[in-house]
Amino acid sequence: MKELLAEVLHNEQIAPGIFAISLKLPEDVRVGCGQFLNLSVGDGGHLLRRPFAIMGYDKGSRVAVCCYQVKGEGTHILSRAKAGDALSCVLPLGNGFSLREEDKRVALVGGGVGVFPLLSVLRAFHESDKHFRSYMGFRSGEYADMFERYDRRSDYYACATDDGSLGAKGNAVQLFFGDFESAKPDVILSCGPTPMLRALKAGLAERGVHVPCYVSLEERMGCGIGACLVCVCKKSGREENVRVCKDGPVFEIGEVEL
Amino acid sequence: MADLKVDLCGVRLKNPVIAASGTFGFGKEFDEIYDIGVLGGVSTKGLTLEPRLGNPTPRIAEGRGVILNAVGLQNPGVEAFLRDDLAFLKSKNIAVIANVAGKTLEDYARICERLDGKVDMIELNISCPNVKCGGMAFGIRPESVEEVTRAAKASLRRTPLMVKLSPNVESIAVNALAAERGGADAVSLINTLTGMAVDLERRRPLLANVTGGVSGAGIKPIALRMVWEVCRAVSVPVVGMGGIACAEDALEFILAGAAAVQVGTANFTDTLAMPKIVSGMNEWLDGHGIRDVNELRAALIV
Ligand SMILES: Cc1cc2nc3c(=O)[nH]c(=O)nc-3n(C[C@H](O)[C@H](O)[C@H](O)COP(=O)(O)OP(=O)(O)OC[C@H]3O[C@@H](n4cnc5c(N)ncnc54)[C@H](O)[C@@H]3O)c2cc1C
Ligand SMILES: Cc1cc2nc3c(=O)[nH]c(=O)nc-3n(C[C@H](O)[C@H](O)[C@H](O)COP(=O)(O)O)c2cc1C
Ligand code: FES
Repeated sequence: MKELLAEVLHNEQIAPGIFAISLKLPEDVRVGCGQFLNLSVGDGGHLLRRPFAIMGYDKGSRVAVCCYQVKGEGTHILSRAKAGDALSCVLPLGNGFSLREEDKRVALVGGGVGVFPLLSVLRAFHESDKHFRSYMGFRSGEYADMFERYDRRSDYYACATDDGSLGAKGNAVQLFFGDFESAKPDVILSCGPTPMLRALKAGLAERGVHVPCYVSLEERMGCGIGACLVCVCKKSGREENVRVCKDGPVFEIGEVEL
Repeated sequence: MADLKVDLCGVRLKNPVIAASGTFGFGKEFDEIYDIGVLGGVSTKGLTLEPRLGNPTPRIAEGRGVILNAVGLQNPGVEAFLRDDLAFLKSKNIAVIANVAGKTLEDYARICERLDGKVDMIELNISCPNVKCGGMAFGIRPESVEEVTRAAKASLRRTPLMVKLSPNVESIAVNALAAERGGADAVSLINTLTGMAVDLERRRPLLANVTGGVSGAGIKPIALRMVWEVCRAVSVPVVGMGGIACAEDALEFILAGAAAVQVGTANFTDTLAMPKIVSGMNEWLDGHGIRDVNELRAALIV
């Protein structure tokens, strides 16, 4: 965990309202897949940083890449950052995804900007013997490129859109269960809007699937490092909270209330 | 190198910069980023007798130059603090200030008794706007400020008592005087201002708690005014906070009369905010030929 002043190398639109930003770090950090950074948007008026998954990190060049959707004020300002600008950030944050040696068949179920942490998994296991089957859902076809342009690793890829403009009409969870028999995953990794994660949880329960399933959660953050207890979510069946920024953002799907 | 040492009702701080309650946990996480031993002190997350889960999420929102929070005093309880966190803070050679809250006078008395002699100072939170049992009930009327201060003081034999004042009151100076009458050894201010933020598109409040406490750079002028008023009213030391983000901000509070300062929200904007404030103070004082930070205290020319 380090506080660093990063230099913006590129910041460009890759799909409608979706930007990819490359940040050159002044020193090396150890980044695992599914970890995130907390990035200043670069003006004095926004006191909170924005958390984004670290989609890729290259040790040699010390360049981290994040992709973000322009939603509110902060990401709007961030989208105007130019090459050469300096932005402060804290990284690496959170626990990230981990795969065991015996997890050979991996299912990735993503929706919207939730595809980015999953892309970090595909990148991290680029040269492994694992088999990835990816099921991604987008609002419409024009967003699908934000996954496809970075994915060089999936053995199988299916996409769904809310409006049916590309792939199946529907969502990633439907695609995943439709393919479940051929996929036979050893582990499921997922990230996306909460309704999607709930549907995944319900689907697994209905079908009596006991394959380990890990989800990456989003919650509004203060410190981003585990000190302020702003970003909590409830543990299932327990009077206990966990911190999304420090104990997560990745949790076993049964461990937390969605 | 200017002398930054200050004395806070007998507690010696190596510099006047203290982490504000609720933004710094019990120090462990920030210590992963820098050695928190460079700070003057740490005020812990608000502690209660029993563990508390706090409010539902979202617990934070942003305005221009400010943030709003409604954490609702989530904390592991005083026993867990004593068992799991105190030794670490003590090992850092900084002033350990336990921020405490309760629902009843008896809660306050009991938690103070439990912490007496174990920490360097108690900060009585009678001003949390986000929970019914955050003591806000005690923090508004001067009579009850005095009463809760007296109850806490009665169970403290060795540890000095600082009372943290709410800005959401008719006169913060009157309440500061009430705390002083009740036996406070110091007062700190300000806690957050009660506020609200809404999502126009969704027509909903941004915080699950609907209202929350406003903090951060934008509240500094209000906090500074209140600190100045309180410093003129009481004779016990005053710890100032509210929107401090850089060394100059901190020195302004000292100029207005504060003996020390706390830094909260700025820790979110920049995890290194506090060490930067400490070194920035040194630079400013050196640059102005001032050898001791105490020379600046209450030196405001009005
Ligand atoms: C661990 C983690 C990883 C994330 N990874 C990505 C990613 O790779 N790509 C991406 O596009 N988005 C990601 N998000 C969501 C992203 O953080 C929010 O979309 C972004 O903070 C919104 O900022 P804003 O300035 O547009 O919105 P504003 O409404 O101006 O934000 C106000 C405040 O609310 C917070 N906030 C608003 N929406 C969210 C949200 N969904 N989650 C958390 N905080 C929020 C902001 O951070 C800010 O503090 C991630 C969130 C988390 C928690
Ligand atoms: C997330 C958060 C949690 C807080 N929790 C507490 C608390 O537990 N007890 C307390 O006395 N004050 C609490 N505060 C108030 C701060 O200690 C401080 O009084 C206030 O934020 C003003 O200072 P600032 O503008 O530097 O943040 C909290 C503030 C924030 C932002
Ligand atoms: S954001 Fe502060 S604990 Fe997670």
